[in-house]
Amino acid sequence: MNTEEGAARDLATHLHPDDAGDRSGAALLHVERLNVAVGPVRRARPLVRDVSFDVHRGQALGIVGESGSGKSLTARAVVGLLPAGLHASGSVTFDGHQLIDAERRTWRALRGSRVSLLLQDPFTMLNPLQTAGAHLAESLPRGGHHSRSRQRDEIARRLGEVGLAAEVAEQYPFQLSGGMRQRVALAVALARDPELLIADEPTTALDVTTQAEVLELLQSIRRSRGMSLILITHDLRVAFSVCDRVQVMYAGSVLEQSPTAALAADPAHPYSLGLLLADPPVTHYVAELTAIPGSVPQADTVADTCAFAARCSWAQPECAAARPPLAPVGPNRTSACLRLGEIHPELRAALSHLDQPAAPPPALTVGDPIAAITELRKTFHTSRLAGRARRTTALDGVSLQIGEGESVGLVGETGSGKTTIARALLGLITPDAGRIDLAGIDISNYRRLDRRQRRQARRIVQAVFQDPYTSLNPALSIGTTLREVLDLRGDVTDSRHETADLLGLVGLPASYAQRRPVALSGGERQRVAIARAIALRPRLLICDEPVAALDVSAQAQVLELLRDIHRRYNTSMLFITHDLSVVRQMADRIIVLYHGQVVETGDTATVLDSPNHPYTRRLINAIPSAQAPSGHAPDRSEP
Amino acid sequence: MTSDVRSDQAEGAAIDHLQRVPVVAVICGLVLLAVLVCVVAGGWLAPQDPSAQNPLLSAMAPGHGHLLGTDELGRDVLSRLLSGARSSVVGPLVVAAGCLLIGATLGMAGAYFGGVVDTAVNRLADMVYALPALLIAIVVLGVVGGGYWITVAVLLLLSLPYEIRLCRSAAMVEVRLPYVDAARTIGISAWRIIFRHVLPNILPTVVATFLLDFVGALVGFAALSYLGLGVPPSSPSWGTTLAEGQSLITQNPWLSIAPAVLIIVTASSATLLGDWGHELLAHAGTQR
Repeated sequence: MNTEEGAARDLATHLHPDDAGDRSGAALLHVERLNVAVGPVRRARPLVRDVSFDVHRGQALGIVGESGSGKSLTARAVVGLLPAGLHASGSVTFDGHQLIDAERRTWRALRGSRVSLLLQDPFTMLNPLQTAGAHLAESLPRGGHHSRSRQRDEIARRLGEVGLAAEVAEQYPFQLSGGMRQRVALAVALARDPELLIADEPTTALDVTTQAEVLELLQSIRRSRGMSLILITHDLRVAFSVCDRVQVMYAGSVLEQSPTAALAADPAHPYSLGLLLADPPVTHYVAELTAIPGSVPQADTVADTCAFAARCSWAQPECAAARPPLAPVGPNRTSACLRLGEIHPELRAALSHLDQPAAPPPALTVGDPIAAITELRKTFHTSRLAGRARRTTALDGVSLQIGEGESVGLVGETGSGKTTIARALLGLITPDAGRIDLAGIDISNYRRLDRRQRRQARRIVQAVFQDPYTSLNPALSIGTTLREVLDLRGDVTDSRHETADLLGLVGLPASYAQRRPVALSGGERQRVAIARAIALRPRLLICDEPVAALDVSAQAQVLELLRDIHRRYNTSMLFITHDLSVVRQMADRIIVLYHGQVVETGDTATVLDSPNHPYTRRLINAIPSAQAPSGHAPDRSEP
Repeated sequence: MTSDVRSDQAEGAAIDHLQRVPVVAVICGLVLLAVLVCVVAGGWLAPQDPSAQNPLLSAMAPGHGHLLGTDELGRDVLSRLLSGARSSVVGPLVVAAGCLLIGATLGMAGAYFGGVVDTAVNRLADMVYALPALLIAIVVLGVVGGGYWITVAVLLLLSLPYEIRLCRSAAMVEVRLPYVDAARTIGISAWRIIFRHVLPNILPTVVATFLLDFVGALVGFAALSYLGLGVPPSSPSWGTTLAEGQSLITQNPWLSIAPAVLIIVTASSATLLGDWGHELLAHAGTQR
């Protein structure tokens, strides 16, 4: 019954299309009850269920969700590029053409020329053997016999549109930075002047400042061309900064559809609220980060209940009884929350906590320095065999200190030398010059240390790495991984008991010891990695982008866990990140690195509130605003 | 994110994979099992004494209680092939096992330590690679005078570089992953990282190359026996039987056909099984 009712309501919302598109008639893209499933037809498991939305001409729709929400699959189903083994059903109409099960010929006429797809990873989506110009030449409209010089001018014009110099046409992808590659890819996607651009996480792999530039570019091109845009992202702030409307997806279902400003100010679903709250603010310290407990379920396990019920603090038995349909809750808004009428005031109240005046960060008692780095230098050489020998200076005379019990944030972009410092501290690389003191041991050259010193150094410093998907050995069970570390500690008599204790410490059940990493979610894996790091009871914990690869809801959990460890054991921390809002929550002191040099250092609050160095200011300005900017209000109309 | 698309894709492939019943793998497994039974109990299974001569029944076609006929000296071909399984298969097995132990260790050590160790391992592999394998074997065995275990040693040395290179390149991928860094950070010793952390992750490659090495050595052994090197001519083996049959191909063609078929079937089964095992193990990592 519920699905029929849902369909009826979906239909109702379609009869009242919103904003700009209203005037230009029917929607450009009309998706109705789109389903994506995997497996043989009889035993198909749903991955995306009953997704319906419209995109009007000139409108930007943000599809927001964590991994497993089905947002990428939705986009791929729309352009007919689902991975093998997956099939879509329902209706996708683009300017009157039915696209589900369309013939190849229909697709060829549409893809690239009228609908275009921009992918996430700028490092793999360009052909390494083709110049940027060749990529563009291939995708420019074929009609007419362009002369060579005309084509060259056209390519230069296209590159200029995405903010690149004409010379870039001659360059190969490996000669371009990530941001430049993403711009080339954007120019290629726009080459045939599509009416709809679908961008799948276009800025996720980029640095903060580059991300801001690419988003700005997307926005200005969309406006000047009146192009429609579907932006898929896991980051609400990114969606808010570009889109008119936002659709929140979770475990294959749409939970809320809303104009951007309304969603940011007044979320109409507990999950939307959770996403807003889980995003740590950059403007002030929050005493306790709000996490959504648990992790995203598989779409097929929540087919007959509210997908979010198991993690929702407002859930009632009726939420688990049937799948709630999307119901209109305001002008141009729908929500799939059954209890919204009762709990809406509570949601508003919870959101207002986010902007509460800042709680002062806990007072800091810093002991003697546990690690001191003096004038550290490191240059990397690429071999002469691979063409021209190249030198990259990673560290150019860096000095810093970390006090006992202090949490230091190390901030900078890709290539600024953050990770090189971490690896030097861990003895994974040997610096060219300079000195590293670790609680009295000179570890600048790990190989020269004797066995006892090396073991001592390993006890003092431990690390949590960025990517929990590769930092755990996939062949070993969690228990084996942890027991191996405990055995090294030497003072453990009952390693099984101790393993259970460790897992408990990071908030995982003891039964996880039998599992392999592949059976764990990203957040859970990162907890295991943390357990492994603290098993040796280190005095300094290096966290190298520990939440960069995690979903928003898992991020807050892991950050809160790290804070707890920091407080409980008075562990010093070196927190490496590019995310200033994370550093605001985690660090007592900030060190800003730029091209292998320390350009600014000071108290977290001082540096973030009144930055001195222009680079620090640029970093802070690059953060997408959490509030919907007034300029992109939903009733904005474009030609 | 693309990660969910990728995992769904992997899942689709895995489902696809499970639906395909590995009939070929089952058959290959049964063939190899039968060969192994002959290796262990070939002499006992043989219907007649493999070295009992009967000049009256020399080079007979099948019949007269001899299922595959007799050879020049009137010995039962079937019995000779069954009892010859041991000398034909044990040698190649030892070669493959030796390659596995030495080659995988050297390959992983080269990948893990890099630098001088890697260069040394690589140059060793290059050097052996440059040698024309079978020709060298013939020369060495001709000079030294053959002998079963010397043949094993020569073949082992000559098939090492393949194992080293494959294991090294598989290990190179693994040692760059953060879990190896994590293990180093914790303070686990180098060899423990190599055998406990790297080895399980390159197992698909190791298993597949083990079977390929076995096949190479099986054929190499047969070839050398055919040339009268390796296995002493008097003792039964598939290669020597094949060589003897050549001159009697008109009288008893089975004397040549049967050992040839045995070699081909055993080698193909091992290759296909290695292929399937590789795929199976490679998939195992992506399943819960």
